[in-house]
Amino acid sequence: MSWLERLNDELSGLGLTGRERRRIVLELRDHIDSEPGCEDRLGDPGELAARFGDELAADRTRRGTYYVFGALAIAAVALLVSQAAIGAAGSYPGFDRGLSLALFVPAALGMFIAPQVALVAGTLAALRAVRRRKARILPAAELALIRRRSWVGVSAGIATAAGLELYVVNFSSVLPGWWLALVGSLSAVAAAALLAAAATLVRAGAVATATSGGAGDVFDDLPVIRWQWLQSHPWRLGVAASLSVGVAMTLVGWHAEHSLIEGIERGVLEGLAAAVGFALLGRAIGVMTPPSRWADPSPPDE
Amino acid sequence: MKADTLNGQLDPLILATIAEDPAHGYAILQRLRQRSSGAFDLAEGTIYPALHRLERDGLLSSSWAVQSGRRRRVYRLTRAGRMALRERRRDWIRFASAVEAVLG
Repeated sequence: MSWLERLNDELSGLGLTGRERRRIVLELRDHIDSEPGCEDRLGDPGELAARFGDELAADRTRRGTYYVFGALAIAAVALLVSQAAIGAAGSYPGFDRGLSLALFVPAALGMFIAPQVALVAGTLAALRAVRRRKARILPAAELALIRRRSWVGVSAGIATAAGLELYVVNFSSVLPGWWLALVGSLSAVAAAALLAAAATLVRAGAVATATSGGAGDVFDDLPVIRWQWLQSHPWRLGVAASLSVGVAMTLVGWHAEHSLIEGIERGVLEGLAAAVGFALLGRAIGVMTPPSRWADPSPPDE
Repeated sequence: MKADTLNGQLDPLILATIAEDPAHGYAILQRLRQRSSGAFDLAEGTIYPALHRLERDGLLSSSWAVQSGRRRRVYRLTRAGRMALRERRRDWIRFASAVEAVLG
Protein backbone atom coordinates (compact mmCIF):
# COMPACT_ATOMS: atom_id res chain seq x y z
CA MET A 1 0.00 0.00 0.00
CA SER A 2 1.43 3.39 -1.01
CA TRP A 3 1.92 6.33 1.35
CA LEU A 4 -1.03 8.16 -0.25
CA GLU A 5 -3.31 5.12 -0.01
CA ARG A 6 -2.46 4.80 3.67
CA LEU A 7 -3.18 8.50 4.20
CA ASN A 8 -6.51 8.13 2.38
CA ASP A 9 -7.48 5.14 4.54
CA GLU A 10 -6.44 6.85 7.77
CA LEU A 11 -8.44 9.98 6.89
CA SER A 12 -11.50 7.87 6.05
CA GLY A 13 -11.11 5.97 9.31
CA LEU A 14 -11.22 9.25 11.23
CA GLY A 15 -14.42 10.31 9.52
CA LEU A 16 -12.93 12.79 7.06
CA THR A 17 -14.90 12.11 3.94
CA GLY A 18 -15.88 13.70 0.65
CA ARG A 19 -14.33 16.93 -0.57
CA GLU A 20 -12.23 17.52 2.55
CA ARG A 21 -10.45 14.16 2.25
CA ARG A 22 -10.04 14.41 -1.54
CA ARG A 23 -8.48 17.84 -1.21
CA ILE A 24 -5.91 16.67 1.38
CA VAL A 25 -4.96 13.64 -0.70
CA LEU A 26 -4.66 15.70 -3.91
CA GLU A 27 -2.43 18.28 -2.19
CA LEU A 28 -0.17 15.59 -0.80
CA ARG A 29 -0.10 13.83 -4.19
CA ASP A 30 1.07 17.08 -5.78
CA HIS A 31 3.75 17.35 -3.08
CA ILE A 32 5.03 13.83 -3.79
CA ASP A 33 4.90 14.41 -7.55
CA SER A 34 7.00 17.56 -7.05
CA GLU A 35 9.77 15.56 -5.39
CA PRO A 36 9.39 11.81 -5.94
CA GLY A 37 10.64 9.75 -3.01
CA CYS A 38 9.95 12.44 -0.39
CA GLU A 39 7.35 10.32 1.47
CA ASP A 40 9.69 9.71 4.42
CA ARG A 41 10.02 13.43 5.03
CA LEU A 42 6.24 13.89 4.97
CA GLY A 43 6.00 11.90 8.18
CA ASP A 44 3.79 9.00 9.16
CA PRO A 45 0.45 9.10 7.27
CA GLY A 46 -1.43 7.97 10.40
CA GLU A 47 0.03 10.82 12.47
CA LEU A 48 -0.64 13.34 9.71
CA ALA A 49 -4.25 12.18 9.35
CA ALA A 50 -4.70 12.36 13.13
CA ARG A 51 -3.35 15.93 13.10
CA PHE A 52 -5.91 16.90 10.46
CA GLY A 53 -8.66 15.11 12.40
CA ASP A 54 -7.76 16.64 15.78
CA GLU A 55 -7.68 20.19 14.45
CA LEU A 56 -10.84 19.75 12.38
CA ALA A 57 -12.76 18.19 15.29
CA ALA A 58 -11.87 21.10 17.59
CA ASP A 59 -12.69 23.70 14.95
CA ARG A 60 -15.99 22.14 13.89
CA THR A 61 -17.10 21.62 17.48
CA ARG A 62 -16.41 25.27 18.33
CA ARG A 63 -18.17 26.52 15.19
CA GLY A 64 -21.14 24.20 15.74
CA THR A 65 -21.44 25.54 19.28
CA TYR A 66 -21.41 29.15 18.05
CA TYR A 67 -24.12 28.32 15.49
CA VAL A 68 -26.21 26.67 18.21
CA PHE A 69 -25.82 29.74 20.42
CA GLY A 70 -26.83 32.03 17.53
CA ALA A 71 -29.86 29.87 16.74
CA LEU A 72 -30.82 29.85 20.43
CA ALA A 73 -30.67 33.65 20.39
CA ILE A 74 -33.25 33.63 17.55
CA ALA A 75 -35.45 31.27 19.59
CA ALA A 76 -35.06 33.61 22.58
CA VAL A 77 -36.21 36.54 20.44
CA ALA A 78 -39.25 34.52 19.30
CA LEU A 79 -40.11 33.72 22.91
CA LEU A 80 -39.58 37.28 24.17
CA VAL A 81 -41.64 38.76 21.32
CA SER A 82 -44.45 36.29 22.05
CA GLN A 83 -44.47 37.33 25.72
CA ALA A 84 -44.06 41.05 25.05
CA ALA A 85 -46.84 41.08 22.44
CA ILE A 86 -49.32 39.00 24.42
CA GLY A 87 -50.41 42.11 26.36
CA ALA A 88 -51.37 43.87 23.13
CA ALA A 89 -53.16 40.67 22.03
CA GLY A 90 -55.43 40.76 25.09
CA SER A 91 -53.31 38.94 27.70
CA TYR A 92 -52.95 35.17 28.28
CA PRO A 93 -56.11 33.24 27.53
CA GLY A 94 -57.13 30.70 30.20
CA PHE A 95 -55.81 27.21 29.50
CA ASP A 96 -59.40 25.90 29.24
CA ARG A 97 -60.11 28.20 26.28
CA GLY A 98 -57.73 26.38 23.95
CA LEU A 99 -58.42 23.47 21.63
CA SER A 100 -57.08 20.75 23.91
CA LEU A 101 -55.18 20.18 27.13
CA ALA A 102 -53.05 17.70 25.18
CA LEU A 103 -51.75 20.68 23.19
CA PHE A 104 -51.55 23.09 26.12
CA VAL A 105 -49.37 20.97 28.44
CA PRO A 106 -46.50 20.34 25.98
CA ALA A 107 -46.80 23.94 24.77
CA ALA A 108 -46.43 25.26 28.33
CA LEU A 109 -43.51 22.94 29.07
CA GLY A 110 -41.85 24.04 25.83
CA MET A 111 -42.38 27.72 26.55
CA PHE A 112 -41.53 27.82 30.24
CA ILE A 113 -39.18 24.92 31.08
CA ALA A 114 -37.26 24.22 27.85
CA PRO A 115 -35.93 27.81 27.51
CA GLN A 116 -34.22 27.55 30.89
CA VAL A 117 -32.52 24.30 29.92
CA ALA A 118 -31.51 25.84 26.60
CA LEU A 119 -30.13 28.93 28.32
CA VAL A 120 -27.99 26.98 30.80
CA ALA A 121 -26.69 24.31 28.38
CA GLY A 122 -26.21 26.66 25.41
CA THR A 123 -24.43 29.29 27.51
CA LEU A 124 -22.12 26.74 29.14
CA ALA A 125 -21.26 25.27 25.72
CA ALA A 126 -20.55 28.69 24.22
CA LEU A 127 -18.58 29.76 27.29
CA ARG A 128 -16.26 26.75 27.00
CA ALA A 129 -15.90 27.17 23.23
CA VAL A 130 -14.96 30.83 23.65
CA ARG A 131 -12.61 30.11 26.56
CA ARG A 132 -10.80 27.47 24.46
CA ARG A 133 -10.97 29.37 21.15
CA LYS A 134 -7.21 29.56 20.72
CA ALA A 135 -6.48 25.87 21.34
CA ARG A 136 -5.73 24.12 18.06
CA ILE A 137 -6.45 20.73 19.58
CA LEU A 138 -8.76 19.84 22.45
CA PRO A 139 -9.02 16.58 24.41
CA ALA A 140 -11.64 14.19 23.02
CA ALA A 141 -13.46 14.23 26.37
CA GLU A 142 -13.69 18.02 26.34
CA LEU A 143 -14.99 18.08 22.76
CA ALA A 144 -17.60 15.50 23.72
CA LEU A 145 -18.68 17.66 26.69
CA ILE A 146 -19.01 20.79 24.53
CA ARG A 147 -21.05 18.86 21.96
CA ARG A 148 -23.28 17.31 24.66
CA ARG A 149 -23.99 20.76 26.08
CA SER A 150 -24.73 22.02 22.58
CA TRP A 151 -27.02 19.06 21.87
CA VAL A 152 -28.95 19.63 25.08
CA GLY A 153 -29.18 23.33 24.23
CA VAL A 154 -30.32 22.79 20.65
CA SER A 155 -32.85 20.11 21.69
CA ALA A 156 -34.31 22.40 24.35
CA GLY A 157 -34.36 25.23 21.81
CA ILE A 158 -36.32 23.08 19.36
CA ALA A 159 -38.69 22.15 22.19
CA THR A 160 -39.17 25.89 22.84
CA ALA A 161 -39.97 26.61 19.18
CA ALA A 162 -42.29 23.59 19.07
CA GLY A 163 -43.96 24.79 22.29
CA LEU A 164 -44.62 28.18 20.71
CA GLU A 165 -46.09 26.56 17.58
CA LEU A 166 -48.34 24.33 19.72
CA TYR A 167 -49.45 27.38 21.70
CA VAL A 168 -50.33 29.13 18.42
CA VAL A 169 -52.36 26.12 17.25
CA ASN A 170 -54.06 25.63 20.62
CA PHE A 171 -55.24 29.24 20.85
CA SER A 172 -55.76 29.85 17.14
CA SER A 173 -59.45 30.63 17.67
CA VAL A 174 -58.85 32.88 20.70
CA LEU A 175 -55.80 35.07 20.01
CA PRO A 176 -55.75 37.69 17.22
CA GLY A 177 -54.45 36.72 13.78
CA TRP A 178 -51.51 39.17 13.85
CA TRP A 179 -50.16 37.61 17.08
CA LEU A 180 -50.57 34.09 15.71
CA ALA A 181 -48.81 35.03 12.45
CA LEU A 182 -45.99 36.90 14.21
CA VAL A 183 -45.24 34.21 16.78
CA GLY A 184 -45.86 31.33 14.35
CA SER A 185 -43.42 32.71 11.78
CA LEU A 186 -40.77 33.73 14.34
CA SER A 187 -40.78 30.29 15.95
CA ALA A 188 -40.62 28.64 12.50
CA VAL A 189 -37.52 30.71 11.68
CA ALA A 190 -36.01 29.75 15.05
CA ALA A 191 -36.75 26.06 14.44
CA ALA A 192 -35.11 26.21 10.99
CA ALA A 193 -32.00 27.91 12.45
CA LEU A 194 -31.82 25.33 15.25
CA LEU A 195 -32.09 22.42 12.79
CA ALA A 196 -29.33 23.95 10.67
CA ALA A 197 -27.18 24.34 13.80
CA ALA A 198 -27.90 20.72 14.75
CA ALA A 199 -26.59 19.65 11.33
CA THR A 200 -23.26 21.38 12.07
CA LEU A 201 -23.06 19.46 15.35
CA VAL A 202 -23.61 16.18 13.51
CA ARG A 203 -20.74 17.14 11.19
CA ALA A 204 -18.54 18.05 14.17
CA GLY A 205 -19.20 14.74 15.88
CA ALA A 206 -18.38 12.73 12.77
CA VAL A 207 -14.64 13.43 13.05
CA ALA A 208 -12.91 11.06 15.45
CA THR A 209 -10.19 12.29 17.74
CA ALA A 210 -8.28 10.48 20.46
CA THR A 211 -6.45 13.33 22.17
CA SER A 212 -6.11 12.53 25.85
CA GLY A 213 -7.03 14.90 28.65
CA GLY A 214 -9.91 15.75 30.95
CA ALA A 215 -13.24 17.29 30.01
CA GLY A 216 -13.33 19.81 32.86
CA ASP A 217 -16.62 20.93 34.39
CA VAL A 218 -18.68 23.93 35.38
CA PHE A 219 -16.10 24.98 37.99
CA ASP A 220 -13.57 25.52 35.19
CA ASP A 221 -16.11 27.55 33.21
CA LEU A 222 -17.27 29.70 36.12
CA PRO A 223 -14.33 30.23 38.50
CA VAL A 224 -16.50 32.56 40.64
CA ILE A 225 -18.38 29.53 42.02
CA ARG A 226 -15.24 27.54 42.74
CA TRP A 227 -15.80 27.28 46.48
CA GLN A 228 -14.50 24.13 48.11
CA TRP A 229 -17.81 23.61 49.93
CA LEU A 230 -19.77 23.56 46.65
CA GLN A 231 -17.37 21.15 44.98
CA SER A 232 -17.09 18.64 47.78
CA HIS A 233 -20.45 16.95 47.06
CA PRO A 234 -22.08 16.24 43.68
CA TRP A 235 -25.49 17.66 44.70
CA ARG A 236 -24.49 20.82 46.52
CA LEU A 237 -24.29 22.99 43.40
CA GLY A 238 -27.66 21.64 42.22
CA VAL A 239 -29.35 22.36 45.56
CA ALA A 240 -27.82 25.86 45.75
CA ALA A 241 -28.83 26.64 42.14
CA SER A 242 -32.38 25.30 42.60
CA LEU A 243 -32.85 27.33 45.81
CA SER A 244 -31.54 30.46 44.07
CA VAL A 245 -33.93 29.93 41.14
CA GLY A 246 -36.81 29.32 43.55
CA VAL A 247 -36.13 32.49 45.56
CA ALA A 248 -35.57 34.61 42.44
CA MET A 249 -38.77 33.39 40.76
CA THR A 250 -40.75 33.90 43.99
CA LEU A 251 -39.66 37.54 44.01
CA VAL A 252 -40.38 37.94 40.28
CA GLY A 253 -43.82 36.28 40.65
CA TRP A 254 -44.62 38.36 43.75
CA HIS A 255 -43.74 41.56 41.90
CA ALA A 256 -45.54 40.60 38.66
CA GLU A 257 -48.73 39.22 40.17
CA HIS A 258 -48.81 41.47 43.28
CA SER A 259 -49.40 38.31 45.31
CA LEU A 260 -46.89 36.61 47.60
CA ILE A 261 -48.81 33.32 47.44
CA GLU A 262 -48.66 33.23 43.63
CA GLY A 263 -45.01 34.21 43.81
CA ILE A 264 -44.26 31.31 46.18
CA GLU A 265 -46.20 28.89 43.98
CA ARG A 266 -44.17 29.96 40.96
CA GLY A 267 -40.91 29.93 42.90
CA VAL A 268 -41.51 26.39 44.22
CA LEU A 269 -42.40 25.11 40.75
CA GLU A 270 -39.38 26.74 39.09
CA GLY A 271 -37.05 25.59 41.87
CA LEU A 272 -38.32 22.01 41.56
CA ALA A 273 -37.94 22.17 37.78
CA ALA A 274 -34.35 23.35 38.21
CA ALA A 275 -33.64 20.47 40.63
CA VAL A 276 -35.15 17.91 38.23
CA GLY A 277 -33.14 19.40 35.35
CA PHE A 278 -29.96 19.20 37.43
CA ALA A 279 -30.65 15.57 38.35
CA LEU A 280 -31.43 14.54 34.76
CA LEU A 281 -28.81 16.54 32.88
CA GLY A 282 -26.21 17.52 35.48
CA ARG A 283 -23.70 14.85 34.58
CA ALA A 284 -24.21 15.17 30.82
CA ILE A 285 -23.53 18.90 30.71
CA GLY A 286 -20.79 18.84 33.33
CA VAL A 287 -22.48 20.79 36.13
CA MET A 288 -22.48 17.95 38.64
CA THR A 289 -19.24 17.76 40.60
CA PRO A 290 -17.28 14.76 39.31
CA PRO A 291 -15.86 12.31 41.90
CA SER A 292 -12.32 13.49 41.07
CA ARG A 293 -13.06 16.84 42.71
CA TRP A 294 -14.62 15.54 45.93
CA ALA A 295 -11.30 14.90 47.59
CA ASP A 296 -9.21 17.53 45.78
CA PRO A 297 -11.21 20.48 44.46
CA SER A 298 -8.28 21.96 42.53
CA PRO A 299 -8.99 22.28 38.79
CA PRO A 300 -7.81 19.41 36.56
CA ASP A 301 -4.98 20.02 34.12
CA GLU A 302 -6.03 21.29 30.73
CA MET B 1 15.75 23.22 13.87
CA LYS B 2 13.08 20.66 14.80
CA ALA B 3 9.33 21.04 14.67
CA ASP B 4 9.18 21.32 18.48
CA THR B 5 11.34 24.45 18.39
CA LEU B 6 9.14 25.88 15.67
CA ASN B 7 6.02 25.20 17.69
CA GLY B 8 3.89 28.32 17.67
CA GLN B 9 6.04 30.02 15.02
CA LEU B 10 5.01 27.98 11.99
CA ASP B 11 1.86 30.02 11.32
CA PRO B 12 3.57 33.43 11.01
CA LEU B 13 6.39 31.84 9.00
CA ILE B 14 3.86 30.51 6.51
CA LEU B 15 2.09 33.87 6.36
CA ALA B 16 5.40 35.64 5.75
CA THR B 17 6.39 33.14 3.07
CA ILE B 18 3.40 33.92 0.89
CA ALA B 19 2.99 37.58 1.81
CA GLU B 20 4.37 38.75 -1.55
CA ASP B 21 3.55 35.86 -3.80
CA PRO B 22 0.85 33.16 -3.56
CA ALA B 23 2.17 29.59 -3.57
CA HIS B 24 1.21 25.92 -3.24
CA GLY B 25 2.23 23.72 -0.32
CA TYR B 26 5.44 22.35 -1.80
CA ALA B 27 6.61 25.82 -2.92
CA ILE B 28 5.92 27.22 0.55
CA LEU B 29 8.10 24.53 2.06
CA GLN B 30 10.88 25.24 -0.43
CA ARG B 31 10.76 28.94 0.37
CA LEU B 32 10.88 28.21 4.11
CA ARG B 33 13.97 26.08 3.55
CA GLN B 34 15.68 28.61 1.31
CA ARG B 35 14.97 31.63 3.49
CA SER B 36 16.13 29.81 6.63
CA SER B 37 19.18 28.43 4.81
CA GLY B 38 17.93 24.94 5.58
CA ALA B 39 17.58 25.56 9.33
CA PHE B 40 13.92 24.54 9.46
CA ASP B 41 13.85 20.77 9.34
CA LEU B 42 10.23 19.91 10.04
CA ALA B 43 8.21 16.89 8.94
CA GLU B 44 7.01 18.21 5.60
CA GLY B 45 3.47 16.95 6.09
CA THR B 46 2.91 19.23 9.08
CA ILE B 47 2.64 22.25 6.82
CA TYR B 48 -0.67 21.06 5.34
CA PRO B 49 -2.76 20.95 8.54
CA ALA B 50 -1.35 24.42 9.30
CA LEU B 51 -2.39 25.72 5.86
CA HIS B 52 -5.90 24.29 6.28
CA ARG B 53 -6.20 25.79 9.76
CA LEU B 54 -5.02 29.22 8.60
CA GLU B 55 -7.59 29.09 5.83
CA ARG B 56 -10.37 28.11 8.26
CA ASP B 57 -9.32 31.06 10.44
CA GLY B 58 -9.69 33.37 7.46
CA LEU B 59 -5.99 34.30 7.26
CA LEU B 60 -5.45 32.51 3.93
CA SER B 61 -7.62 31.77 0.95
CA SER B 62 -6.94 29.07 -1.61
CA SER B 63 -8.04 27.81 -4.98
CA TRP B 64 -7.05 25.15 -7.48
CA ALA B 65 -4.80 26.33 -10.32
CA VAL B 66 -2.98 24.54 -13.12
CA GLN B 67 0.77 25.14 -12.87
CA SER B 68 3.41 23.26 -14.88
CA GLY B 69 0.63 21.03 -16.21
CA ARG B 70 -0.42 20.00 -12.68
CA ARG B 71 -3.49 20.89 -10.63
CA ARG B 72 -2.29 22.55 -7.44
CA ARG B 73 -3.88 24.22 -4.46
CA VAL B 74 -2.52 27.77 -4.34
CA TYR B 75 -2.66 29.77 -1.12
CA ARG B 76 -2.72 33.54 -0.76
CA LEU B 77 -2.94 35.95 2.15
CA THR B 78 -6.26 37.58 2.96
CA ARG B 79 -6.60 41.08 4.42
CA ALA B 80 -6.99 39.50 7.88
CA GLY B 81 -3.87 37.44 7.17
CA ARG B 82 -1.85 40.59 6.37
CA MET B 83 -2.99 42.22 9.58
CA ALA B 84 -2.18 39.08 11.58
CA LEU B 85 1.28 38.95 9.99
CA ARG B 86 1.99 42.59 10.90
CA GLU B 87 0.94 41.88 14.47
CA ARG B 88 3.06 38.71 14.73
CA ARG B 89 6.06 40.60 13.33
CA ARG B 90 5.68 43.30 15.99
CA ASP B 91 5.33 40.64 18.73
CA TRP B 92 8.40 38.80 17.47
CA ILE B 93 10.55 41.92 17.37
CA ARG B 94 9.55 42.78 20.93
CA PHE B 95 10.18 39.21 22.10
CA ALA B 96 13.55 38.90 20.28
CA SER B 97 14.81 42.23 21.69
CA ALA B 98 13.78 41.23 25.20
CA VAL B 99 15.56 37.86 24.90
CA GLU B 100 18.64 39.54 23.46
CA ALA B 101 18.66 42.09 26.25
CA VAL B 102 18.71 39.28 28.81
CA LEU B 103 21.14 36.98 27.01
CA GLY B 104 23.47 39.83 26.15
